[in-house]
Amino acid sequence: MSLNIRAKLSKISTVFYTLLRYTRFRIGLAILIVMVLLALASLTSPPVYRRWYAYPKDRPPQFNLAAMDLLLGTTSNGRPVTYITINALANSLIIGLVTALIGSHIGLLVGLLSGISRGYKESVTVLLIDSFVCMPGLPLLIVLAMALKNIMTIHTLPLILSVIAWAWPARNVRSITLSVMGREMIYLARFSGIKFTGIIVHEVLPYVLGWHLTNFINTIIWAIGMETALAIFGLSILSEDTLGTMIYWALNYNALFRGLWWWMLPPIVIIISIFIGLYFISSSIAFYLNPRLRGHSQ
Amino acid sequence: MLHPFAKHLINRTLVAVVTLFIAFNVSYLLLRAIPASAVDTMLASVAQLGQRLDPEDYIRMRQTLMELFGLTGSPVDQYIAYLRRFFLLDFGPSFMAFPTPARNIVARFLPWTVGLLLVTTVISWLAGNTLGVFVSFVKNRRLSRTLENIAIMLYPIPYYVLSLALIYIFAFLIPIFSLSPVSVPSIRIASISDAINVAIYFFRAAALPAISIIIVSAFGWWFLSSRTLSISTITEDYVVFAKLRGVDIGRIRGKYVLRSVMVPQVTALALALGTIFSGALVTEYIFAYPGLGSLLYQSIIIGDYPIALTILSLSIIGVIISMWLLDTVVYYVIDPRIRYAR
Repeated sequence: MSLNIRAKLSKISTVFYTLLRYTRFRIGLAILIVMVLLALASLTSPPVYRRWYAYPKDRPPQFNLAAMDLLLGTTSNGRPVTYITINALANSLIIGLVTALIGSHIGLLVGLLSGISRGYKESVTVLLIDSFVCMPGLPLLIVLAMALKNIMTIHTLPLILSVIAWAWPARNVRSITLSVMGREMIYLARFSGIKFTGIIVHEVLPYVLGWHLTNFINTIIWAIGMETALAIFGLSILSEDTLGTMIYWALNYNALFRGLWWWMLPPIVIIISIFIGLYFISSSIAFYLNPRLRGHSQ
Repeated sequence: MLHPFAKHLINRTLVAVVTLFIAFNVSYLLLRAIPASAVDTMLASVAQLGQRLDPEDYIRMRQTLMELFGLTGSPVDQYIAYLRRFFLLDFGPSFMAFPTPARNIVARFLPWTVGLLLVTTVISWLAGNTLGVFVSFVKNRRLSRTLENIAIMLYPIPYYVLSLALIYIFAFLIPIFSLSPVSVPSIRIASISDAINVAIYFFRAAALPAISIIIVSAFGWWFLSSRTLSISTITEDYVVFAKLRGVDIGRIRGKYVLRSVMVPQVTALALALGTIFSGALVTEYIFAYPGLGSLLYQSIIIGDYPIALTILSLSIIGVIISMWLLDTVVYYVIDPRIRYAR
């Protein structure tokens, strides 16, 4: 048993080193590590940062090592932008992660079921997946968020997002499953008398899991983006700091046109870098998994 | 044996109908999840915003809300009532301009959103695909590499985040565009000068949001996907054979590669429509563009459920119908296999 685990670990590390050869993956990983470190740094923020007017108002950034609090200046309600930013980053990452944990796993399950079933069961699941993929998600989420505004927390928001989030992963997993199920090794396994569940677990799942990882990362990107979109409409958890609500409050206090760039820019810069970092990682995994893409660009 | 187009048509129509039905049921179920006590809280917040309400109006609003959230009548009645409202877009009087039906207010803002979406969708789809196919022909690897890297950076960024950066640059640092306030965008064209004025207003208001949507979607997704598709098409045997036969290179690019890349891209466009629509809503609000996005924002502040629900069902119905049109009519035009087969 321990040998099995060690073999698996060594295989994972081989894949990881292969991935590290891609520049894109290295950049993405570096960005992600910086973001995670920043998010972890939020644990050190003093509780006082949550209070309004604990600091002077509208203070521009000052590079004074003695007063790290004011490194990025303060907002119009006297809160230090540095701490807001790192807390917002941490909360947004949590929202993204939880949504991905729920949504992409539902997608994996539905996609697998749809890929291996035949006849009317297949048609039903395909129709279900397709219609959720086509549905414009934001208006639906907006009406839902309007109604559930009062009970919205960091933990319930991902549940709401997952209503839509599972569809794209399911679609992807289904197509991968279909292509694997058509290969000769599956017939061979079936004729050698391996049970159906055994085929799924040992033959199909290993192929699907790599794609599941890219789906997982893409769902994180999607969830952070959706939270931001909801927040810009004022429908996220406005009492907590997330990247979206930070933009919302900055827009609400007209930071853009009052020249308070140190309030407006950090969330935008961080959102863009998270998206680029995560996308680089997921696309280089997809690149690794898809030999056709690999062949062409190298 | 059915004609391929008939098969395709039946298939797509079925998907569209089922999608509509599922979307309707999801929104129905979600609205049932709202507790009864919420209605009075909602009405209180409407009253707080300083609107003067007659007691009769108040009662009518309360009735509307009670019915919308399924708090009156038997479950079957509720379902049928909601079905009727959903497909006729009749969600009762709006709260922000009380006796006016929500439908009329939405109809006033709709042409602006449709105009913006049509223009940006068509331009970005054509530009992205043409550029992607073009780049795959270019021998200069530096150029194609640079373009690809720019596209990869742009693709994951949502429109509205880029919009904020564009506003900052083009309306604040270099004030080329002014951010016109949301005025009532009623299009009443009585004379030629009216038409010109509306057109000028439209272009000034739509320029920046359109640019941000086009940059992200044309040079992000459409560019990347069409490039990948055309790279694999170029290595197909029929293209290689055409080259050996001495077919004009322009003809190969246009008729052999671009044409066949377009077919899967139409399906992709149909699928992308929902996300473009959602992204455009936020972008519109950020740019104070007088479309559904801005209306939605106002209705959220006031808690104007009739308007929000009208926009919801309109967007679902609209996106699904236009997807269906793209996937059947446009397919019919660009894919000869569907027309002539048999």
